[in-house]
Order: sequence, then structure tokens, then C-alpha cells
Amino acid sequence: MSINRGFKHKGKTLLLTSLAVFTILAGCSSGAGKSDPNASAAGDTAGGSASGQTEIAFYFSGSQNVQELWEHLKEMYEKEQDKVKVKLVYIPSGQGEQATMNRIVAAKRAGKDSVDVDLYEANGGSDMAADKKDGVFESLSEQQIPNLSLMDPVNMKDLNNKAIPYRSSSVLLAYNSEKVPAPPKTLDDLYTWIHEHPGRFAYNDPSTGGSGESFVLTTLYKSLPDDAIHNQDKSIMQQWDQGFEQLKALSKDMYQQGVYPKKNQGTLDLLSNGEVDMVPAWSDMALEQINKKLLPETTKLAQIEPAFTGGPGLLTVPSMSKHKEAAYDFINFVLSPDAQAEVVNKIYGFPGIEWSHMPSELQDKFKGVSVSYRSFNLGELESEAMKRWQREVAGQ
Amino acid sequence: MSGQGLSPSLETRKPLKSAWNSRGVKHSALGLLMVIPSFLLLLFMIVVPIATSVQESLTGNDGQFTWDHYKYLFTDPAMKANIMYTLNLTVVSSVIVLFIAYLLAVFLRFSTGKLAKWIEKLYYIPMFIPSVIATYGMINMYGNHGWLARIMLHFTDAPFMKILYDYKGLLLANLWFNIPFAAMLLSSALSGIPNAVIESAKDIGAGKIQIFFRIIFPLSFKSMLVAATFVVMGVIGSFTAPFLIGPNAPQVLGVAMQQQFSVYFETGIASACAVFMFAICSLVGYFYIRNMMKDER
Repeated sequence: MSINRGFKHKGKTLLLTSLAVFTILAGCSSGAGKSDPNASAAGDTAGGSASGQTEIAFYFSGSQNVQELWEHLKEMYEKEQDKVKVKLVYIPSGQGEQATMNRIVAAKRAGKDSVDVDLYEANGGSDMAADKKDGVFESLSEQQIPNLSLMDPVNMKDLNNKAIPYRSSSVLLAYNSEKVPAPPKTLDDLYTWIHEHPGRFAYNDPSTGGSGESFVLTTLYKSLPDDAIHNQDKSIMQQWDQGFEQLKALSKDMYQQGVYPKKNQGTLDLLSNGEVDMVPAWSDMALEQINKKLLPETTKLAQIEPAFTGGPGLLTVPSMSKHKEAAYDFINFVLSPDAQAEVVNKIYGFPGIEWSHMPSELQDKFKGVSVSYRSFNLGELESEAMKRWQREVAGQ
Repeated sequence: MSGQGLSPSLETRKPLKSAWNSRGVKHSALGLLMVIPSFLLLLFMIVVPIATSVQESLTGNDGQFTWDHYKYLFTDPAMKANIMYTLNLTVVSSVIVLFIAYLLAVFLRFSTGKLAKWIEKLYYIPMFIPSVIATYGMINMYGNHGWLARIMLHFTDAPFMKILYDYKGLLLANLWFNIPFAAMLLSSALSGIPNAVIESAKDIGAGKIQIFFRIIFPLSFKSMLVAATFVVMGVIGSFTAPFLIGPNAPQVLGVAMQQQFSVYFETGIASACAVFMFAICSLVGYFYIRNMMKDER
């Protein structure tokens, strides 16, 4: 009994002391205007108060280079100002990126009035199609994000102002320069090369990675008019026939007579161990891996004419976010020339804003590098193309 | 605390409460309490998801009831090919796995040599290797420029047989992942057969083959069924290896399902696919349970 009472007594003291300490701490922190949860919540509803700090949750996915880029940009941004903190939520590529979008859509459909995703890096086709159906993204304009004026207005218009292509990378031909002295210059040259060197070319299963998808889409849209690539009307699907015939014909001269490895890395692996001599690859992935010596030094990159379709990284603000102002502020920073320069330096990407606004030394360095890629915006048609590829090319 | 055990007999004025306090009820309440977590787990991790996918597979894009997803599953040529491919792979893999595992188990049970001892120590190693790593190991070993091809190059100039991105590669992966587990189950069953039984059979003149078919096989048959159940379920639901080293078409159902779900966003078809796989697994499970109950009667 006496022990018990002793415990109780001690417990009481402990409780009181900790309460006191807690109160003092809480008093201190709110006095200093630091991140007291209540204060920041109040600040958010008011659209970001002067003293409160807002934390935005940023969900993004991608390869490791993208993760490193965001960690770096977050650091830069938080050093610059102290109102907004960015919580990075990284979902490694291929591990359920879709889940975030599903959550946003589910919250919308369930009639909730908030979702804890304040900024989301969307993937072009499917997410924008989902937005069309459920309207989950906020419309963005220069009033909210002044730096949008630095971008080519066409890019924003393509996406109905719902998403910002803040960076892009293009798909290029990565080839072993020892085996391929003169890389093909045009798509037709490439097809001829593939037929002349059976088994030495591979592109990945288009449903598993963008570089293979780019090869397929570029072939499908090769002989179609330029603006067809922005056409989301289903009637255009009939015009794919020629492209699919071409892909079917290429099949027998592909790696192992029609084996399409999974994911972007799948073909790069084949290139690195010498099983093939040429693959389509993302510029940023290939450059990084050459730099890290994961690909042999003999690996070179070339663009063909007409260029492979490339793709932008898209930033979107879910319309149910409670911290929109803060998210806009962060986006504005991301579109600033300084931050865009990091996109070029860190991940060998292409800036989302126009080159003329980029730091002049970068402009000089990249003078003559054609950033030509065709961005595609096919919406739901993309998955139709994948289905048909699966049926006709893989399953022939 | 200590007095409670005696209290029911002393407090005669409160028979109801004493009954409540009696050991049996208390125990069963405790038992119930202990079962609840696993029951909830079962409910929310298994029953609810299955119900959801059944519902999803029967709901069209317009939210109305429809059989379309199942119709697609069994009429679309590519999907039909996927299903046949998966069933074929499952049956062939399972038969080979069980055959090899059984031979291995019998060998381990009756051999006393050094080799058997080493195998006994090493054979379950594949179970501790994550499937992604094992799959990449396979790519390095059996790939076009893999170890095996490089070794073979010393003897022959002919291109090495295509193993990866092919049926053979998947078969190999299934053997690698499933033999250790099946062998473990079977060898524990075989070690449960007492030597005395076998020796007495020998004493009355039974041959080796007779001993095997009359004694050893029947006594280990139940474990064989358990192993078969788990192997079939493991193979039919496999994903990692088929995704990385499987052919582009036809695909194993797991890969096809993933594609339907996250590339084409056809949740209905993906759900129908899942329900179909679940139906096959429960069919296998049904035979297993029926056999178990027969034995207990």
C-alpha cells in the first residue's frame, strides 16, 4: 500500500511538473510567434497571416533525381522566407503514384471539403483526364502566381491553366558510340537502322515508362499533322493504323525478336551491359547515369527529326487544399529563374519558363542545344494507345 | 485480488453475480476478447476488400449493375490468352514444384550422407531472399549476356537459349520461390513417420516400392495437399518476377491486373480479374478444407 501511495504521489508531482513545463513552453512558443498548431490553422483560414507559419504538403513522384531536386529547392525556398514550410511527400516511381490522385478524387467524390494534399505533381494524361471528369484542380493564373508570365502561354493553355509544366525532359536516342558511329538523323533512318541491325534496338513496354511510350507515340503521330498531338478527339484513333503497322513490322528486328523490357530503366540496363546498341531514353535519366558512370562512357545522346515526344513535369493545386496561397507562393518560387536554373543544373532537365528569362550564363552554355521535343497531351487517348499496343504489337 | 477466487462460494446472497464471476464465463469472455482483434483484422483486411472488389467488378462506369467486366474477361482474346497462360503456368509449375520438393524431402528423410546434411542446411535459403533481388539475380544469371551465357561461350558459339522474357523464365522463377517452402512442409511430414513402422513393414517382406506407396505416401498425403494449396496460390498471384522477366504478351494475370488498374484505369476489369483469381484460390482451398475435414471425422 505504501509503495502504491508513493507511486501515486510521485505520479501527481510528475504530472503537475510536466503540465507546468508544457504551459511555459507553449506560452513561450506562441509568444515568439513560432509554429503553434492553433495559430497556423487560424492563419490559414485567413489566407496566411503575417505571424503564422503555414506548412504545405507536396506530393510528388519520380525517379531519385526528381527527389533530390525537390529537396534542394525546398531548402532554397525555406531559406528565402519563413512563412511557408514545405513538407515533401515522395512516392518512388512505380510504387503507387496513382494513390495520391485517387485520394484527391475520392475526397472530392465523398463530398469532403478538404484534403491534405496542397500541391501535387500530376502525370499528364491520366490525371488531367481525371480532372476533366471531377474537377479536382484549381485554375491558375498570373494574379496568383506572377511568374507564370515567364512561361510560354501556349503551354498553359494546353493544360486549361489547370497545371503548370514547371520543367520538362525530352526523350532522346541513347546509343553506344563504339558500335554506332553515325546515329540516325530521322525517324525513317532509325527504322532502317533497326531493320539493318536486328536485335540491337529495344524500347520499353510503353505502359511501364515514358521513353518507350514516346517511341510508340512518335511513331503513331509521325505522319499526322502537327496539331494532331494536341487533339483529344477519339476520331483520331483511326489514323493510328499506319503507325501500328510500322510498330508491328519493327517487332521482329527488336531485341530478342520483340521483347520489350519493363520500365525506362529496363532498356538502359540492356544498353549498359551491351545487349543492345541503341534505345530511346529520357534525357535526364541518361545524362545522370552517364555522369554517375552507370552507363559506359561511350554512351552518347542524339535527337532525331521529328523529335521524340517529351514530357513536362506538372504542378497542380488540388482545389480542396486549405493552404492554396502558400502553395501559390512556392510555385512562384519554383518558376523563378534561380530555381529553374537548378532544374537545368541538378537534373539536366529543361526549364519550364522561356530560355530568354534564364540566367545568361546558362543561356550561353545551352546555346545551340535544341530543346526540341514535342509535348503531347492526349488525355485518355494515351491509355487507348497503350491498350492497342498491348493487343496488336506485344500480342501479335 | 487474491480473495476473488473464493468469493463466489462465500457471497451466497448474490447468486447472479457469482455466476457471472464463475470461471467458465470469465474465460469465455476473455477468449472472445482475445479473438476480437483477429476477427476485426479478418473483417477489414479480407472480408471487406473482397466484398468491395466483387461489388466493383459488377458496377459499370455509369454506376449501374453490369456483367460487362466479366464478359470482357472471358471474351477479349488478349485477356483469354492471359487467363489460359496463367492457368497453364500455375498447373505446370505446381506439378513440377511438388514433384521435385517431394523427391528432395524423401531424399533428406532417408539419406544419411554428407550431401543430404548440406542440402538440409541450405535448401531453404531462397525463402529468405526477397523476390525482387532473386529476380535481378536471375537476370544476371540467365540473361543474354548473363553468367550462364558467358560460361557457355567457352564451349559453343551458338546463341544461348532464351530463358528470360519467356515462359521458361517464369517457370524457373516459380520453382526457385516455391520448392524450398514445399520441401520444408513435406520433409516435416516425412520426418513424422516413425522408423519403426517402416522397419516392421520391411520385416514382413514389403519391398521399397510397396513401402513407399502403402506407407510413406499415404502418411504424407495430407501435407502434400497443404503444400499444393500454398504453391498454387503463390504461383497464381505472383507478380514481381512475371513483371520483370515475363513476356510482354500473354501476361500473367497479376501483371495484367496491375496494367488494367494503373495504366488503363479500368477498375472494374481489374476487380473482375481479382475476383476470378480469388475464385480459383477458394476452389483450391475448398478441396483442401474438405480433405482435412474428411480426415478428422
